[in-house]
Amino acid sequence: MTDGRAQRVVIVGGGTSGWMAAAALARLLPKRCSIHLVESEAIGIVGVGEATLPHIRHFNERLGIAEADFMRWTRATFKLGIEFRDWGRVGDSYVHPFGTFGRGHGEVDFHHYWTRARLEGRDVPPLEQFSVACMMARMGKFAPPGDPASLAGTFGYAYQFDAVLFAPYLRAIAEGMGATRTEGRVVDVELDGERGDIRAVVLEGGNRIEGDLFVDCSGFRSLLLGEALGEPFQDWSRWLPADRAAAMPCRTRTDVTPYTSAIAMPAGWRWRIPLQHRTGNGYVYSSAFVSDDEAASAIEAAVEGEPMASPRLLRFRAGRRERSWVRNCVAVGLASGFLEPLESTSIYLVQQAITALVELWPENDIADADRDEFNRIIDLEYDRIRDFLILHYHATERDDSDFWNYVRTMPIPDSLAEKIELFRRRGRIVKYREGVFLDASWVAVYLGQRVVPEGFDPRAGLPTDADLLRSMAALRQEVSATAAAMPGHLDFIHRYCPMAEAA
Amino acid sequence: MQSVVVAGGGITGWAAAAALKRCLPHLDVTVLPIQPPADAFADRLPATLPSVLAFHGDLGLSEADAIVRTRAAFRLGTRFVGWAEGLPDYVHSYGAHGQAIAGSAFHQHWLRTGDAPFDRYAPAAALGREGRFLLPGEPPVDLYEYGLVLDLSAQAAMLRAFARHLGVREAVSELRSVRHRADGFVEAIETGAGPLVADLFVDATGPAATLRSAVGGDRTDWQRWLPCDRLAIDAAPTAAPPASLDMVEAIDAGWRFRIEGAVQTTTGACWSSAHDPRPGGIAFAAGSHAEPWAKNVVAIGDAATMVEPLEWTNLHLALSGIDRLVTMMPGRDCAPVEIAEFNRQARDEAARVRDFLLLHYVTTRRPEPFWRDMAAVELPDTLAHTLTQFAERGRLPFYEEETFARDSWLAVLLGQGVRPRRIDPMVEAIDPAPIAAGMARHRDALAAAAARAPTHAAFLQALHRQVLS
Repeated sequence: MTDGRAQRVVIVGGGTSGWMAAAALARLLPKRCSIHLVESEAIGIVGVGEATLPHIRHFNERLGIAEADFMRWTRATFKLGIEFRDWGRVGDSYVHPFGTFGRGHGEVDFHHYWTRARLEGRDVPPLEQFSVACMMARMGKFAPPGDPASLAGTFGYAYQFDAVLFAPYLRAIAEGMGATRTEGRVVDVELDGERGDIRAVVLEGGNRIEGDLFVDCSGFRSLLLGEALGEPFQDWSRWLPADRAAAMPCRTRTDVTPYTSAIAMPAGWRWRIPLQHRTGNGYVYSSAFVSDDEAASAIEAAVEGEPMASPRLLRFRAGRRERSWVRNCVAVGLASGFLEPLESTSIYLVQQAITALVELWPENDIADADRDEFNRIIDLEYDRIRDFLILHYHATERDDSDFWNYVRTMPIPDSLAEKIELFRRRGRIVKYREGVFLDASWVAVYLGQRVVPEGFDPRAGLPTDADLLRSMAALRQEVSATAAAMPGHLDFIHRYCPMAEAA
Repeated sequence: MQSVVVAGGGITGWAAAAALKRCLPHLDVTVLPIQPPADAFADRLPATLPSVLAFHGDLGLSEADAIVRTRAAFRLGTRFVGWAEGLPDYVHSYGAHGQAIAGSAFHQHWLRTGDAPFDRYAPAAALGREGRFLLPGEPPVDLYEYGLVLDLSAQAAMLRAFARHLGVREAVSELRSVRHRADGFVEAIETGAGPLVADLFVDATGPAATLRSAVGGDRTDWQRWLPCDRLAIDAAPTAAPPASLDMVEAIDAGWRFRIEGAVQTTTGACWSSAHDPRPGGIAFAAGSHAEPWAKNVVAIGDAATMVEPLEWTNLHLALSGIDRLVTMMPGRDCAPVEIAEFNRQARDEAARVRDFLLLHYVTTRRPEPFWRDMAAVELPDTLAHTLTQFAERGRLPFYEEETFARDSWLAVLLGQGVRPRRIDPMVEAIDPAPIAAGMARHRDALAAAAARAPTHAAFLQALHRQVLS
């Protein structure tokens, strides 16, 4: 085949990942492809990723999405990080911020100085008091980041939004740029007998849609990659045993926090994601340790506002397909793999897959080099996030349920065991320049979950005791004052991006 | 960790000692000043990468001490001559070549609409080609870095004086033997003046790696990828005002070079003795320790990784190893998990430097048997991956611990005439005419700025006047 004509791209599945892919491809590769999205209104949207990572802002920017408009439409709030409650021990609480801690001194990160003061027996406040993002979160403040050289510029932010409203928002963009949509349920996938490529999908009623490249956004079912092409699934449930969620939105009654909460539960954890009009809640649990009924009762008991629906059950399994791109089929989102939403990585993974696909856009005759590179990039993303998630479960002192006893004592991947050991010895973080969670994220979780280093970078030993304590006190004061001077989260939203009408 | 002995008295050894004492003043640091051997290239080649300036900065060395009083000159890059037959020479300078346009890398647009060689869009190359020098300033003359051409003896003397000023001790003696503990760690170095005992031993003895080899493990041989094994070096007083680029020219079975410093001009050649049996030159063999750190001995620079001096990476690798050592200084027990992370980073870094050097050879088109052999070399996986990705669509995959930035890879790839089969499809969605006009304006602005800039010699004179007055 030649490369002369636009490729016919068929996206199977609407929802967040399907419409993100459609909008991005239509916007970024207008001459290279025609977009045809097939979705069925009868199939619900899972809409897992209501909380996002800061990377989403870059995605929106490339699509030319205006922030305030997008936030109004999706009834979004700002997110400065995640609050983890009851993870290290019942009663503990820490914030994993989208930002850094303190000011390092040259190459030495702040947490080494903090560790030193702790090990010397000083009465040192929790690390989060040295992070502007954490203090903003605790005080319920929000303002966009300032000058990167100042403390007010030491954080980033993401959004908490209604995923069910995001898909239509993207659909308008995609259709405005020429994407077409067909309503219908896929009942058959036609393969090319010789090559094994997907030739067409057949809808209920016989409508047949041919394509050159198929993007599988069918969710957990993995209709094309998993079912039609039979790509095996790598099961990670021995490390990440949660396999169900009971989701239940409620009216927002309490504070609209500029952060997501992840609260540990007897057999998993529950999320709390405040939007402008409602608060998302859900109990992620392992069915081996608690029954569905018990889990549903637990989430009903836990929600803070008036319920807007009864608990809805979701089933999943942690892991990923061996490859995400096979033949002429690229799986994006849940069709390619699943990692529980503990660190809000679902939409991030969708975004990375789309970015990699655009960067490696194939010709009609797909080169192995394109597929292999795509799979290398996506595998690395999954694998690194996997280790970070396992850390949350494993680094705990909880022994109050079978579930916590299991995750506390389970064998973990070597790659993670080495990382923990390096931190435990001397507070070192394995350095990666590329990857979603960088140094400050690991520091937040280690220290938040009581992995306390026995030593510190010897360069942090240079300042005198008096100088160190004085500068830490001054820093804490400055961090606190910086956060306190910012507007309240809801005040900022009401001025900047109030939702169109009350829900 | 309380005491360190550094074996090696050249630039590498004194730099290691000074950095350790400066950053970790509680350490007791002693240097055993063994004269660097002829094949310790980090101590023999005067051209350095930009990292030397960052190193000086970390030590707190002023421009006056580390450039003016040591009679250093600046260098903006290397002009490569004769590496791609039928193509003009090209400059590898350090920094931006144009800027991203509409979310796509500059070189993707250049591949479509560029109408002048790639280096014409790099400010440092534009200055260098005219023999000029300026510190990075306002756009468009910004976003680049530069290295130094050292006066080697002055540099070594300066570092030694600085290290001693910081409190580093100098053991005036020679290395006789190594004494081990029962667990295989080195307990002491026996010298003519008695034993030197320490918790950690830094091997800066050059490729012989005298200490490191005492704790086991061989170097991985890289000669199948980097077969040059002879280096001849000559020095003469600099006669004319020095250039701000050095020159590296491909010859029958290797390359020759010319580096113009403020005081001395260094020339020489590097070749494969299997392809060119001419006598002379310093013999060496490319290779690298998979574990530069074993037990309580850490090899730094040429003792860890030995590569030919193309692209002047020997001292850079030494300084990078010193930085890593300071950053990752373990406890006295040198716990395996800490050492393993040091070795992983060092190994990845060395492998990518090897790849970058090999890139020059495998993309060269020359008819001589040496070059034909090089074009047929079976590549390491990492370089094969980079070249495949680049050949497809001009994409450069990310690697951790990369020494040379994307723009450097591009300067060499595009300078040597490698062209991807297709370009970033996003570029095709953009109207080419305004892009081409903008690129031409950028190029003209750089050429005009270069013509206005002071010559390298004038810049050096002004700096000397300013510092010494």
